[in-house]
Amino acid sequence: MRLRITAICLNVGLLVIAAVTIFPFVWMLLSSFKHADEIAAVDQHLLPRVWTLANYRSIQEHFDVVRLFGNSLLLAVVITAIAVYTSLLGGYVFGKYRFRGRGLLFSVVLATTMIPWAVVLIPRYTMFTDAGLQDSYASIIIPAAISSFGIFMMRQSMDNVPDEILEAARIDGASELYIFHRIVAPLSVNAISALAIFQFLWVWEDYLWPYLMITTPSKQVLAVGLTTFSGQYSTDYGGLFAATTVSIIPVVIVYVIFQRRFVAGAASAAVKG
Amino acid sequence: MKTTRTLAAVLTTAVLMLTACSGESSDDGDGVKDTTAAKGLPIVGENLKYDPNTLVNDGNPIHLDWWAWGNIPQMQAFADAYQKIHPNVDITVVNQPWEDYWTKLPLQLQGSKGPAIFNVHNSEHDNIIKYMAPYDVPLDQLTADYINVQPHVIDGKVYYIDLGLMSGAIYYNKDMWAKAGLTDADIPETWDQFREVAKKLTVRDGSKLKQAGFNFNASFSAFQSGMAYQLGQNMFAADGKTPTVDNPANLQVIQRFLQMYADGSGSKDFGTEATTSFGQGQTAMVYAWGWYEGTLRNDFPKIKFGVFRTPVPTAGTTPYAFDRYNGESTLGINKNAPADQQAAAQDFLKFYLTDKTNMKALNLSYGVFPAYKPLADDPDIKADPALQAYGDIERYIWPGTIPSTFEDNFTKMWQDILYNKVDPAKALAAAQQKITTDLAGKNFQSAEQSYAAYAPSN
Repeated sequence: MRLRITAICLNVGLLVIAAVTIFPFVWMLLSSFKHADEIAAVDQHLLPRVWTLANYRSIQEHFDVVRLFGNSLLLAVVITAIAVYTSLLGGYVFGKYRFRGRGLLFSVVLATTMIPWAVVLIPRYTMFTDAGLQDSYASIIIPAAISSFGIFMMRQSMDNVPDEILEAARIDGASELYIFHRIVAPLSVNAISALAIFQFLWVWEDYLWPYLMITTPSKQVLAVGLTTFSGQYSTDYGGLFAATTVSIIPVVIVYVIFQRRFVAGAASAAVKG
Repeated sequence: MKTTRTLAAVLTTAVLMLTACSGESSDDGDGVKDTTAAKGLPIVGENLKYDPNTLVNDGNPIHLDWWAWGNIPQMQAFADAYQKIHPNVDITVVNQPWEDYWTKLPLQLQGSKGPAIFNVHNSEHDNIIKYMAPYDVPLDQLTADYINVQPHVIDGKVYYIDLGLMSGAIYYNKDMWAKAGLTDADIPETWDQFREVAKKLTVRDGSKLKQAGFNFNASFSAFQSGMAYQLGQNMFAADGKTPTVDNPANLQVIQRFLQMYADGSGSKDFGTEATTSFGQGQTAMVYAWGWYEGTLRNDFPKIKFGVFRTPVPTAGTTPYAFDRYNGESTLGINKNAPADQQAAAQDFLKFYLTDKTNMKALNLSYGVFPAYKPLADDPDIKADPALQAYGDIERYIWPGTIPSTFEDNFTKMWQDILYNKVDPAKALAAAQQKITTDLAGKNFQSAEQSYAAYAPSN
């Protein structure tokens, strides 16, 4: 009985937290169908009093939403695929191979996560510009191709891959690449799912670096397009809400696809067995 | 095997993308060649002239990027009109987000691939001036055509000037005005009259304020840095460097505004942001700068508003200055751009500075009074509520690009007075001390002395 009451209390608490978390998104979604004066009105209503699609129609006036959406999607998919692969590879090496300097090398990888991003912004900008990579997607993909957080996460998840299976495969004559692709990768699917979601979100939200590197408007990403709703003196909230609503669709889809494995993957990276 | 194939496909796609997207963009525009110099078009301009009957870049195709952070349709209109005359010049107006424009622009201007043309805001002068090419136009002609060129002259050259002047005025709700039984004859000339009108526009339900007659919450720095001019008080001493904040004029401004809240015409707790409260139909009058006209039209289209000049201390007299103003700037030219782009940009600049039609549209969209003198008496300018309210624009003063410490400390001062019950005299002294400390060692020079009616004050 006591356990049941505890469970009910816990669930009610979680429901409240979920409602508090979700409410701003619901409010944004519904406000994207409101006129500007209703969004800023003193008397706020969750549902629009007068429904309008004008905010959605106005997105295209600010930027080529389809093009930028496609650019962001392409970059997010490619970077996520590359970063997850390199992270898994790095995590596997650090987790399962024994070699001199492994600890030091892993510490160096971890140390890179502790350097504030703003510190490297200008040197990185100069480096990529001097290399002639400005206004190319290479400048977006290359810095994100290796993720120190991803390597750390995958390194932690390698504890879920039994050494005995790897040894057995080697005895059966499997190559190291075969073991990595056919044994390690399938056994790490939860961690891969979790990292894929994180990575996809980071790329999807990334604004300043793409903004600095891409100069051709048609190559720009959606996150940069969204900022054009905020002007010097005021913000077009209706348009911003509509564009943001459109922009979160892929994020929701990615989460829905990977959600079953996301929690398990995140937990496996957080707990060292 | 399937995983390997998938990964290989993804990586191949990535490599293809890198290759495809790393190519240099062409500088040749749309490839149209112009072969006719004598187009039979009239030479335009008053003193500064633009002759369209020439070949730009010898008629060869050329592409110019023009970076801007807003008012894109108006910029595009300039570009379209110019391209109609010079079809070999392809100008792309690129919309940039205001916030990070000032991070990206200086970085981009360091190299040769930055935009040939870019919009300027005078608050970022120090950030970008070293990348700007001087205007290739006769200074005397520019001065004859534009207001307030002189403060922008550096070693005999200008790199940008004002295209329009923005200042403050009183915005009022016409429906509330009529409901209170007020007419156009009640537009107040003095602050005392304004105070009485504010009382009439105030609506209460018992002790509860339902409608503020006047609201200045969160607009503190806007009026505090301009109203002392009405009392003959400059922001800086005669040296142009020493800030003069703690003085009887600023104290009088504070007392005047506090009196209106003491009357019950408004409250620090009612409509915590005056301009939003006005848009929401809670407030009858606010003090705001010209940009507010556009905000009202876009965000609060149902509000019927009028605008009148900020009241003065004494009826029938012109004060030392009505208010402070700031300018919206003309475009800048990238001195690191290739020579052919710079030459084309200089030609476009002359067109831009003499194109009355598009300059008027740009001024109206910014909500600024035109600095281009031929537009001063334009019927559309005179019909604009915010612009007509300024009155004699020559009696507004530009103190230069005011360091942000003024805005920060005037805001803090008012918050201390209203919300922390700090004595106004003490709050003013604290603001003076902080602003003086912040400006110590800074290379700031006020432009107040360029004001035609300048008189030094302590």
